[in-house]
Amino acid sequence: MVSGSTVQKALPRQDRRPFVTKVVLLILFLCALAIIFMGIHGIRAFDASGFSSEAAFHAVHVLAGETDRAWQEQLSPALSQLDAETRSGVRQAAKDLLINAWEDTDAADAVLGEISGEKEESLLWKLLYATYLTRGPKVSSSVRKTLSALPDSDAAAFRTDTLSCVVHPDSEVPEAAISLLEKAGSEERDAALVQACFATCLKDSADDAVNTLKKSVRDASAQLKAYRMIALGEVSFVWQFIVSNSRSVILSGILLAADILLLTFLMMGDGTWIMDFKWVMILIIVDFLLLFQLMPLVYMLIKAFFPDTTFSLETFSRLYTYPLNLDALSNTLIAAFSTMILGTVLAFPLAWLVGRTNLYGKKFFRSLFVLTYMVPPYVGAMAWLRLLNPNVGTINQWLRVLFALSDDPGPLNIYSLPGMIWVLTSFYYPYAFITISRAMEKMDPSLEEASRISGSSPVKTVLTVTLPMMLPSLISGALLVFVAAASCYGIPSIIGSPGRVHTVTTRIVEYVSLGQQGMNDATGMAVFLMVLAVLILFISDVLLAKRQYITVSGKSVQPAIVDLGKWRTPLTVLVSLFAVVVVFIPFATIFATSFKVDVGKSMLRQDNFTLSNWLTIFGRGETIACLKNSLIFAAVAATVGIVIACTMSYLLQRTAIRGRKIPDFLITLGSGTPSVVIALSLIMTMKGNFGINIYNTAWILIIAYMIKYLMMGMRTVVSAMSQIHVSLEECSQISGASWLHTMFHITGPLIFPSVAAGWFLIFIPSFYELSMTTLLYSTTTKTIGFQLYEYWTFTSQPMSCAMAFGILLIVVFLNFVLNRLTKGEFSI
Amino acid sequence: MATVELKHITKSFGDNTVLREFSQTFQDGEFITLLGPSGCGKTTMLRIIAGFEKPTTGELYIDGQLVSGGKTFVPPEKRGIGMVFQSYAVWPHMNVFNNVAYPLTLKKTPKAEIQKQVERVLQIVHLTQYAKRLPNQLSGGQQQRVALARALVAAPGLLLLDEPLSNLDAKLRESMRFEIKEIQKQLGITVVYVTHDQTEAMAMSDRIFLINRGVVQQSGTPEEIYNHPVNQFVADFLGKVDFFKGEVKDGSIVFPQMGGQALPYDGPRTGKVEVAVRPENIQFDPEGPLQGVLEAQYYLGDVDDCRVRVGETLVRVITGGYAYKTLKEGDRVRLSVRDQMVFDDDGMLDEKLQIQT
Repeated sequence: MVSGSTVQKALPRQDRRPFVTKVVLLILFLCALAIIFMGIHGIRAFDASGFSSEAAFHAVHVLAGETDRAWQEQLSPALSQLDAETRSGVRQAAKDLLINAWEDTDAADAVLGEISGEKEESLLWKLLYATYLTRGPKVSSSVRKTLSALPDSDAAAFRTDTLSCVVHPDSEVPEAAISLLEKAGSEERDAALVQACFATCLKDSADDAVNTLKKSVRDASAQLKAYRMIALGEVSFVWQFIVSNSRSVILSGILLAADILLLTFLMMGDGTWIMDFKWVMILIIVDFLLLFQLMPLVYMLIKAFFPDTTFSLETFSRLYTYPLNLDALSNTLIAAFSTMILGTVLAFPLAWLVGRTNLYGKKFFRSLFVLTYMVPPYVGAMAWLRLLNPNVGTINQWLRVLFALSDDPGPLNIYSLPGMIWVLTSFYYPYAFITISRAMEKMDPSLEEASRISGSSPVKTVLTVTLPMMLPSLISGALLVFVAAASCYGIPSIIGSPGRVHTVTTRIVEYVSLGQQGMNDATGMAVFLMVLAVLILFISDVLLAKRQYITVSGKSVQPAIVDLGKWRTPLTVLVSLFAVVVVFIPFATIFATSFKVDVGKSMLRQDNFTLSNWLTIFGRGETIACLKNSLIFAAVAATVGIVIACTMSYLLQRTAIRGRKIPDFLITLGSGTPSVVIALSLIMTMKGNFGINIYNTAWILIIAYMIKYLMMGMRTVVSAMSQIHVSLEECSQISGASWLHTMFHITGPLIFPSVAAGWFLIFIPSFYELSMTTLLYSTTTKTIGFQLYEYWTFTSQPMSCAMAFGILLIVVFLNFVLNRLTKGEFSI
Repeated sequence: MATVELKHITKSFGDNTVLREFSQTFQDGEFITLLGPSGCGKTTMLRIIAGFEKPTTGELYIDGQLVSGGKTFVPPEKRGIGMVFQSYAVWPHMNVFNNVAYPLTLKKTPKAEIQKQVERVLQIVHLTQYAKRLPNQLSGGQQQRVALARALVAAPGLLLLDEPLSNLDAKLRESMRFEIKEIQKQLGITVVYVTHDQTEAMAMSDRIFLINRGVVQQSGTPEEIYNHPVNQFVADFLGKVDFFKGEVKDGSIVFPQMGGQALPYDGPRTGKVEVAVRPENIQFDPEGPLQGVLEAQYYLGDVDDCRVRVGETLVRVITGGYAYKTLKEGDRVRLSVRDQMVFDDDGMLDEKLQIQT
């Protein structure tokens, strides 16, 4: 019974908690609305002010403080030294000066009429002081120096004397003011005297604010407004902050509101209304993704349909009737589709031979094919260009000799749609290969054994059991190739552009370089790519109801191995031939070209061999700077990315917290979005128009890399974590370890190889990225990938080949590091 | 060395209540088994004691100290309990010695002392020569012993075992059963053991708690539970049992589905009943009250497992191996029944519980 009554007592407390939480949420939501409202009000106030820059508000705030201080500490004491008659005389003079200075008598009268009563004198002087900051007689710097050099007591006397001189023309003018008076002449004698008095008050520290005010408030009526604001101290610190950062304020208000709504939604579903720290983690990640991924994409979509704030399909009808764009569209679709078919047709037998048969050297082949995945596509494009150039392509030269053809260009031409498809295929088939071979290795061998025991031949088993079982991963691998090929920029830009084979991506980049109108058109083209990508993502995720991603994973169970019998040697030769054509020849070409003077001639000729390309790229400061940029950006993206990845893995694998799937979905969406689209949407939203200005900085690149590649890292860590049974952690806990201790000594060491692999999976593609960098770089944030592209296009092909091979070496080296770091468990 | 006191413990996941009003006290040095089919709530109970789950209501005391209930909640790492997990949870990145030493290093025990203690428990579980091995170089049974050693090394007063033997092969399971019991006797600790295997429970426990659908059906010594089950579920879960529908009439139970044959009865029940009989309690007996035809017999060496058709009902009889030699299929036989258990007919036979053993 005792325990029963405690339970009874505890209940009301629990009943109250949801109520308190709801009230707090409501208050926070209202705060968010208030923040948004203030931001909007700030924008309105700025628009109404007529100031040309938000900085003016800050200046007004600073000067209001300065004016008040000058009045309190200097002017007021000076005035109190005067006798009553003089004082009222000076006041009258000050009024006249003010009206004089403001030129607009009506406005001056209006303001003067407003101020009356006790504060009249102080306001009057403050107004005058503020006015003279920009409108009074000029004080030369030498005079100012003399005045500010006066000791405090002298300065005070000086102020009293100059003011009294205004009323008593005959009295002696203080020495320091004489030069000022002489310059002014008799008409502006009073003004000069007052300005001399003010000049002793003004602190040097206010100079910046005065300059800002002069620069950004030029219009007369705006100036009057500013003086009035200064005198009345109307601009508080908070207010000037809101006005000068109004867009950021609105944005943070909206984010906060969205967070609160999301949190409310989550809590409503959870039902207990108890705040959980994990929600904060989710909200932080969601905020990041909302801000830098979803908002830009949505804005881009809106912009495409509402180019000038009204709904219009004008952009689309113009874009998609222009023959060049139609060409680009059909090229993209044809190229992506052909690459998908070719790539899958290549990948399936390769995956089967390498994964499930006793092919000679299958481990070697597997690493080789997977490694291609880590090679920048543009390097492949360069290699094939060298091989199949219609005039000087090595293969073309051989073919001409071999078949005794004339010296006309050809017979093969890389600058064509089929040429592009070939290069796309040779670089994107690994996507399908990895997906299929992973599924193949995971497949339960007894399924095939059952088919064999039922009387089916090995080949028939492949066709009737293996292939149908592989169908989902086959399709998702194929779709992966499709999206990758459709959104590729590197290969079309190197092969397509010279051959006038346009694709959607190259058109987008061309449009962006055209400026404002081009931007609209680029958006219209990007929408096409995005719809395509989202459609495919939907198909492979929802319709196949099976998530297949390219991730590395640890060792798997040994599947049944098919004995190839007499076919073993011929098939090995065939696969080797494929490897030579697709992997060895291109890389060798790059390597060879990097030592050439004239790309058209053999490297082995005495006069055609040079090391200068290598020496040049290693000796050039610019290249080194670009390399450094690439390394730093990729490292930052990978590090921040892997922190998010680990947090997400923990949330996904170790908690049942509601809403953990939301960031997961956004991250998947991000990686499915074509690079060019991500870059374009960031350009449109990150240049200050939404309160965030990171355009032309390293951050915009880093964020773009993270959005594109975060998922690869996340999947890797998630799959590692899913393989660690939760009891390993619980056992540590019951042994007496805290959560942190467990994470460091049990979970950490166990998932470390995957975390390292995840880091590299974000790092490597970020390191050589080209598509997004092309759109987002600035002169100080060029990366090695972009530098290579510039060299290729504008400088020298051999030199860029040297650079490409350098990049290749770095990637291979990183792979080696990863392999060592994870004790051979991972390599890519 | 430790008592565990559970007061009105209820646990719900959303609308699903997996434990209802669990109130028990486990005495010092007792070997307690929580037995029941999967999903009955026994593992949840164990995890509540360990501190991996918070009870929805109720209080839990270990050694008289409140560890869970009201606003108090002592996390698992502060409870000083040893636990062996079903999956062993031997950390693959540490060798045997480090795995076992882990709880002691957390207590900042001096190195020499750790060495001594680890050697002591490794000796208890017969793993002394494997100290430097990595878990993937050990067999399942050895890994299981590493887990046991690790749970014992800090000399806990309370040891929790979550189906520790379910992943072992039959022979090993049998020998580990006795080893665990031996260790418990030797150290005098309190053990809470979760299993769905009734043989394990019978062999080791001082007291068994048979749980079904979150409610304790019966608790008591193995003998009490086996011989005096309080309801059909308990009777059915422990050992082999067959149920027959009958009706009490004039000092005997008539079985309509046995062609109206009857057994003498002098108990208190009336009307419709269910009679539970263990096959080993039915014997071939020329004087027996029931008559039938031997339909099949399976020779198992130590016993003979027979099926006898009595009326429309097939009755299972387990008898000594010798019967195989004397009877053959098709023989008319008579049966006598002893130790039958008679329950009110609550329709339980019709719904026939899904029991996985």
